[in-house]
Amino acid sequence: MKQRANRRDFLKAAVATAAACPYLIPGSALGAGDRPAPSARIVMGGIGIGNQGSGDQGAFLGRGDVQYVAVCDVNTQHRNAARDRANGRYHNNDCKTYNDFRELLARTDIDAVHIATPDHWHALVVIDACRHGKDVYCQKPETKTLREGPLMVAAARRYSRVVSGGSQRVLEDYRRQVNPCWSGELGPIKSINVSFGPLAQSCYLGSEAIPQGMDWDMWLGPAPWAPFHPYRCSGSYNINGTCWRSFSDYSGGGLTDWGAHHFGGAIFAIDCREFEPEVVEYHNEKGREYVGFRYPNGIFLYHNHPGMKHLQIVGTPGEKRAPKPVPSYKGNGGIHGDFIECVKTREKPFRDIELATHSISVAHLGAIAYQLKRSLKWDGVKNEFPGDEEANRLVDRARREPWTL
Amino acid sequence: MQYQTITRSAVAAAATVLGAAAAVAEDKPALDKAAIDKAFESLKTFDWGVDNNKFRALLGPIEDALPATHGDAAARKELETKLAAVLSTGASRAAKDYVGRKLAIIGTAESVSALAALLPDKDLSHMARYALERIPAPEAAKALRDSLAKTSGTQKAGVIGSLGVRRAAESIADLAALVGDSDESIAVAAATALGDIGSVESAKALQDAKPASDPVKLRVADAQLTAGECLLTAGDKAGALAVYKSLIASPEKSVRLAATRGLLLASGKKE
Repeated sequence: MKQRANRRDFLKAAVATAAACPYLIPGSALGAGDRPAPSARIVMGGIGIGNQGSGDQGAFLGRGDVQYVAVCDVNTQHRNAARDRANGRYHNNDCKTYNDFRELLARTDIDAVHIATPDHWHALVVIDACRHGKDVYCQKPETKTLREGPLMVAAARRYSRVVSGGSQRVLEDYRRQVNPCWSGELGPIKSINVSFGPLAQSCYLGSEAIPQGMDWDMWLGPAPWAPFHPYRCSGSYNINGTCWRSFSDYSGGGLTDWGAHHFGGAIFAIDCREFEPEVVEYHNEKGREYVGFRYPNGIFLYHNHPGMKHLQIVGTPGEKRAPKPVPSYKGNGGIHGDFIECVKTREKPFRDIELATHSISVAHLGAIAYQLKRSLKWDGVKNEFPGDEEANRLVDRARREPWTL
Repeated sequence: MQYQTITRSAVAAAATVLGAAAAVAEDKPALDKAAIDKAFESLKTFDWGVDNNKFRALLGPIEDALPATHGDAAARKELETKLAAVLSTGASRAAKDYVGRKLAIIGTAESVSALAALLPDKDLSHMARYALERIPAPEAAKALRDSLAKTSGTQKAGVIGSLGVRRAAESIADLAALVGDSDESIAVAAATALGDIGSVESAKALQDAKPASDPVKLRVADAQLTAGECLLTAGDKAGALAVYKSLIASPEKSVRLAATRGLLLASGKKE
């Protein structure tokens, strides 16, 4: 969208002066067919183009209103494969590759980026993208620590950026819970339970040879140094100690990876997306641990409650509750289309970064309660555990030099 | 021994802190001191190369001791002393990495000197900060500040970043001098830290800074905006207005727009 006049003028001039070879410029380049003119397309790049990133790339490449021009990944194989997908889509060689996301973000012709790095990179890249004037679609879980969320929201608001989180399931997978809550059918809601796991684990796996084409230091980035091991950086979805999603240096384990969906969907159902719990109750019943998050409106969100099924809701059907219209995506094409539409209109997306970070904070709060094995009070406005010096230490972690938020 | 002094009454006392609303049954077992001692023996030879089951088998008792000693100062001190002692031994990098993580949660002023000694070490600096950044004792901030003269390059940038996260206002003069550093990572870290501190003084230091390159200039402006938001949050509208006015003629369009937004917010307009 940037340099709009220059690009369009150039193309028109090229057509006018090159009438002898009209077939050199396809009609779609001027906006014919089902594609907007290049000047009206959102110019995009992708950062972190492995397993999940390639899926996001595919969604954006499939859109006529997007022109995809750059990819960044610290794994050469992923990077080149993503470049080839983009070039294959457009039948050109225009897609540029980068190992360092800062070089991609410095490009002034790029309007928006999608980010699917491992979680420990999300906040750094999202905030830097906002500084450079990019709109952002960031995969879930959007944050690695409680401190990161407010900083990401502040960056988005400071630079008036559209920043969308990336859980498509929140709207699409929980309609059976969302609809009866929002319609008023269940009356005022008392509680909901979600059951899933596991917690993230420590990783002291041994050293193996770094594969050719892998920038291991950049992959680690702000995470503590550790030797290369293929399980550390595998983008697999098996959270069983064989992929980065398992390990606490890079992810919150199942609690954040599935939590983005399940907590996100549950919070959406009970209409608590706009604030955070004020109490986390830790329970240990004969070795079976579970937590309950109490919201300021008194509603409880349970995790692994032994007496409740997954996504079970306790309401008060005999009492009236006014129905509310269920929010939805804007535009066409699911959550990716919602983001693109909002880039155009400057509205907030369905999973606006502020709502996204509220839902991931629930997972982080739960992880801290499980780690400390005790109940906690939380102030979601001040982003701190009031009077709890020990828990406040876990709000963030020091980043490996030279990375700072 | 102190480890075995953890009782249900101590747990109940800790739960009381949370008040009745959060009172729940927490049944913590007494600590197994022999198992903890064995784990510390394992830590002497611990290294990368173990899966989670093996990790738990070796160091699990220390892991379990952290939550179990909550509210028992004597037991915590004994644990902390043993952990900090590892830092001055020939234990592996992995073992010291592990200790840094645990001291981040239970470390006090007592551990600061052992951690501070590692700050100039390129392999161990980060895990020393991992603890020092999170230890609330003022001695930790002083150790970080003192290490500015003993570190260079990326280690120095890391120390600066930790001072920023701690919002170490007593470091403003040191940080102001570093915004013009020829090492871009140091200059960026110093600007960011001053923004994080978010006081009138740190904002003034940023305004007076002479960044050496365009990327650093952008980060200085960003840090000023952060400082403006901190001042606004603290209720210092006049301070925030001064910050935003200083940026309103920035050559960067994004900064001008952000400053305009800030001016409106500082003037009482809601988003």
